[in-house]
Amino acid sequence: MKPDALELLLQDTLKAEVATSAERLIDLEERVMMELGERRPRLRWSQWLGQLLAPSRSTRLGQLVFVGATAAIFLFVGLTLSDHILPGGDSPKLSLQPIHAADGTQEVLFVLPAMDAENVAVVGNFNAWEGTDLSDPDGDGIWTASVPLSPGRYEYAFIIDGRWWGQDPLADEYIQSFGEYSSVRYIGRGGDGA
Amino acid sequence: MNSRTASRLWVMVLLLILPAVGAVAQIPLMDYEQALYSIPVSNPDYILSTIEMGLAQDDFPAEPLLRLIDRLATHPAPAFEKEAILIVLAHAMEDGLPIEGLINRASEGLARNVPLGQIEQGLTQRVLVLRETRDLLYAKGIFSAPAGAPQTMANAIPMPRFNQLLIHISGTISEFLEGGGSPFEGHVMYQEIYNRLTLLQGVTLLAEDVELILDRIEASDLTQVALATVS
Repeated sequence: MKPDALELLLQDTLKAEVATSAERLIDLEERVMMELGERRPRLRWSQWLGQLLAPSRSTRLGQLVFVGATAAIFLFVGLTLSDHILPGGDSPKLSLQPIHAADGTQEVLFVLPAMDAENVAVVGNFNAWEGTDLSDPDGDGIWTASVPLSPGRYEYAFIIDGRWWGQDPLADEYIQSFGEYSSVRYIGRGGDGA
Repeated sequence: MNSRTASRLWVMVLLLILPAVGAVAQIPLMDYEQALYSIPVSNPDYILSTIEMGLAQDDFPAEPLLRLIDRLATHPAPAFEKEAILIVLAHAMEDGLPIEGLINRASEGLARNVPLGQIEQGLTQRVLVLRETRDLLYAKGIFSAPAGAPQTMANAIPMPRFNQLLIHISGTISEFLEGGGSPFEGHVMYQEIYNRLTLLQGVTLLAEDVELILDRIEASDLTQVALATVS
């Protein structure tokens, strides 16, 4: 066979092959995607999170939804807690701001987180160091007691299951006596009542 | 009887009744006597005489003192240790010093289960600081005036107000020293006294009293007081 004849034969053969393959390429993308969809495994939460954070166009929307939902949850929890803790809330029992009485006495809240405690009391010079029990009715480990106090300086400490705890995070200052700490709060100073 | 006579009679009756009500409200000396006998103390007469002196003062902590004696009575320690604490208080009362802070410290010690001997030592130290601080105020021309007495000196403060100042100044010095502070750190003590008095200014202390103290007292004075009590 002459070289020219051989070349023509190869060209014809290639054209025929391409024509046959081109028919197979029709709808190839759709078929592949369909097959992949059927074979897609269930994602574990860590894979889902990884996919969520992947920088692809489709997952960015997921990120936005995720961030928005988280923000909404935090906003809801924050607003709910603010009703109990911040001034002006509807629950005076948990308010950190003292409630002023007509005679100058204020309801001062003592708060102590003590998760595994069975008994918590506050002792100080307002109760002759004899103990006022704190309570934790909802069992969340946050113990509270409201004590009526007139304006002045008060030394105190907590007793948690018989152990002395003199460093209240809400105290204005700390002092040492008999080798241990006590907390101090000033009530009614500058009209803020803290 | 016309209405004017009737109203006069009512006023007279009230004038007769009110002092009697006041006398009932005050704790009678007999209550202290009974509490002391339940400890029992070997020299109740001396302690009672000082309590009687204290009861004549307006700002005497009558109820906290009785409560402290009752607590000591139920304490398992030997009677002589309890009496030693009361003797320290009696000496302070005899000297005209305010005992409010001392009762507070003793009650705190009992709540902490501190041995009575250690409480007595702590109180003795505090009495020393009280006395030295009072002498400092006198030396600075700041005096106390008994209730109802004519104010003959420019800086004579009524006794309850003077005692409150004395309690807070000496208390700050005592706490500083008990917390491990050096007597030579007069400037630190001054700053702590400044902080406490200004926080209580307008609350339990008069602004003019606070100004007078901060104006007259210097850091070096506090070093002198501290050195006199630790030497």
